[in-house]
Amino acid sequence: MRQPTVASATRRPLCGRFFPDWIATTALRPVVLASHVKPRRSWPVSSFPRWLAVNALAAVLAATAAPAAPAAATVETTPVLVLYSNGRLLPANVAGDRGLHEAIRAPEDHPVALCYEFLDSPRFGGPDFERVFAEYLRGKYAARPPAVIVALSQESLNFVLRYRAELFPRVPVVHAGIDRRILASLAPLPADVIGVPVDYAISPTIELALRWQPRTRRLVVVTGAAEPDRVLESQLRTELATLRNRVEVEFLAALPMHDVLTRLANLGRGAVVFSPGMFQDGEGRVFTPAKSVEVMAASSSAPMYGFYTTFIGTGIVGGSMPSFEAMGREAGNIVSELLAGAEPGSLRLPEVVPQAVNVDWRQLRRWGIDERAIPADAIVHFKPPTLLEAHRNEVIAAVVVFVLQGALIILLLAERRRRRFAELAKEAQRAELAHASRLAIAGELTSSLAHEINQPLGAILSNADAAELILESGGDRRDELRSILADIRRDDVRASEVIRRLRTLLARHEVERRPFDLGEAVHDVGVILASEARRRLVALDIRPPTERLPLVGDHVQIQQVLINLVLNAMDAVVDLPEDQRHVVISVERGREVATVLVQDCGPGVASTHLPKLFEPFFTTKPAGMGLGLSIARTLVEAHGGAISADNAPGRGAVFRVELPLTRNTKSSRRSRHEHQAADSRG
Amino acid sequence: MSTRPLIHVVDDDESLRTALLRLLGAAGYEARGYASTGEFLLDPPPDRPGCVLLDLRLPGPSGLDLQQALARRGLPLPVVFLTGHADVASSVRAMKAGAVDFLTKPVEREVLFEAVERALERDARQREARGEAAVLRERFASLTPREREVFEGITAGKLNKQIAGELGMAERTVKLHRAQLMSKLGATSAAELGRLAERLRQLTPSEPAH
Repeated sequence: MRQPTVASATRRPLCGRFFPDWIATTALRPVVLASHVKPRRSWPVSSFPRWLAVNALAAVLAATAAPAAPAAATVETTPVLVLYSNGRLLPANVAGDRGLHEAIRAPEDHPVALCYEFLDSPRFGGPDFERVFAEYLRGKYAARPPAVIVALSQESLNFVLRYRAELFPRVPVVHAGIDRRILASLAPLPADVIGVPVDYAISPTIELALRWQPRTRRLVVVTGAAEPDRVLESQLRTELATLRNRVEVEFLAALPMHDVLTRLANLGRGAVVFSPGMFQDGEGRVFTPAKSVEVMAASSSAPMYGFYTTFIGTGIVGGSMPSFEAMGREAGNIVSELLAGAEPGSLRLPEVVPQAVNVDWRQLRRWGIDERAIPADAIVHFKPPTLLEAHRNEVIAAVVVFVLQGALIILLLAERRRRRFAELAKEAQRAELAHASRLAIAGELTSSLAHEINQPLGAILSNADAAELILESGGDRRDELRSILADIRRDDVRASEVIRRLRTLLARHEVERRPFDLGEAVHDVGVILASEARRRLVALDIRPPTERLPLVGDHVQIQQVLINLVLNAMDAVVDLPEDQRHVVISVERGREVATVLVQDCGPGVASTHLPKLFEPFFTTKPAGMGLGLSIARTLVEAHGGAISADNAPGRGAVFRVELPLTRNTKSSRRSRHEHQAADSRG
Repeated sequence: MSTRPLIHVVDDDESLRTALLRLLGAAGYEARGYASTGEFLLDPPPDRPGCVLLDLRLPGPSGLDLQQALARRGLPLPVVFLTGHADVASSVRAMKAGAVDFLTKPVEREVLFEAVERALERDARQREARGEAAVLRERFASLTPREREVFEGITAGKLNKQIAGELGMAERTVKLHRAQLMSKLGATSAAELGRLAERLRQLTPSEPAH
């Protein structure tokens, strides 16, 4: 933004601007403005350091470019004298100049050179000072008198009105920043002294304060001791007189700053403070109004309202204020019109520079003022930018990342869900297969199961028949009848127990995930198969572990696997002589797994068959489907275990089922039959 | 030799065994129980009419084995099999081996008693047959070798002259032997001798009859 100015330094004299001037200490070098130098927009406060840095750079370039100035001297510049009442760095002046600078437009071949002068009121003043200053201006601008004079604020207008005829006769004057009531008191002004008046009325600010702090009972107004302070004080007294019936108005006028601060610190509740600032306190200490307000606001125990936009940021809540920048802009517009050849009397000027509500967002928070009470058109300062405002790209990037991440998560969840469904389907299928396999097992056990059930049933029937005959034969044989009934009851329980076991095995049940004891499962396998072993004349040797082996899973499925293995083992020994048909089930306990071994003394598994043993449809039995072992493997693996087969060192095959134990093993020892053998030979 | 039959119940299931003994006892039979075939064979039954109620599926030597063992020992008691689950193979084997009946548990009282009665009847018949055969064998044993040769000749339907020629003796001597052996065997005609010979042939093998 600054580059056009910097670039122009090579072909025309450059007077920099406020800060470049100040830094290069070439305070009186005129600023040259060309139409192609775009009006600067106001600098946001947050970008101030950057602005300063760029200005500093520009200043250095300006200083080094100074020797090139004579080469550009051929360009005709139009001087405009800008006269300020106060010092250069008064914030109001800085803001005003910014507006002025922005608004001035000039033809390309006649750039405007803004030449600044400062009366430095109220530090300097009086007839002698003014005289010397007038002489200085006369000498300085003798060769090139200004085309327009801009008088900012009251003192400079007064000076211009007093000395214009003498110094720069008939040069039009544009005033700015002067209250309309003061202008009215100066009327009539010459026709070529024009400008847009300012309304410094404080009642809108007070109204604002009363609206924001509805419980306000007391308004404290602080004014200073310098001449302009006195003028303002009297204006305020007049204006505030109308408020007397609504609120108690108290003036702290021309007091030493120390006293002012003490009073402000002890205001108590229900008070608000208003101050136009002061140039001087009762002890003669000099301030800028903004500085004085800053000091006061720091001590005040009540919210403070101010007069000028330059007070924003010093600690005041805000106020309804005309903007100095707007004042400068209005003046700049008029200057541009005049330079373009307009007659001063013919210009249509705005009636007044409008006021705008300015608030310090931090102070709103500090005093607990409801943000919603701020008018929509108010200028809110120091509101921290929202995350989006402050880090737009980062926020967008983050949102994009979140969205992508979210999408990914949803995708993964969907995938997981799909997989879960697939797993459920697989589990259902596995349960179905397991059930089918159990049915097959039951089919194989039909003979022994029928035997097991019919045995007690036969006993019951015979006992009942015997009892009937005994009753028919007469005579008192109660004891015999009683023992018959006891036997009937016992056999009934026996039969129903077999049926219960069978039901457990055959029922199509939901796959369970429950803790159970492996030893118990092995023991039950022995009970279920005892009868079958007897039928096949096989010595079935069950050796359950002596301690509890906790597992989690479906105990029916694990039993099913073991039954399957034992039936296979019994098949393997069927061709041996009766006294050699042995099948042993034992359990080994490891650190994390328990292993059930099913060992037979049959011919063993051919080594070529070993790798295929657990594959579906692999069978060595003429009538076998080849599903039993593959289902067994599926079930064992579903329990996180493993199944394997090998040939025992001596003779026969060993099947191992490894199952993971539950972590927190409560090794509660349970004594069961240490060595339970269901031997068919009794 | 008591005439009252004794029924042997062999079943490893104590409960069922007790129940059967009770039932048979209540019906007026004398019955004795065994937990296994081994127990039964260790304690040989007295030579009394009777029968065996045998569980088909017994630990140790099976019911079928027992049946054969009894026959070998010349104690061919009729056997009634009881089974909890009748499969075709074992029932066929049992019936072939001469089982009287093959009952499925739980067994109806009437069915059981009928089977027992049938078995006892058969036992009685067999005993009678065994008695007759014993007399016959005794008589036959009293024959001299010559007389036996002549007997074989007669039962083969040969004439005295042919027998005399084959044995190298006089026809008169053959007639003498013939009169002697007919008297020893208690037969009055050649036809009767033929029937005796037939009975003997039937009794010679050690298997139980039929």
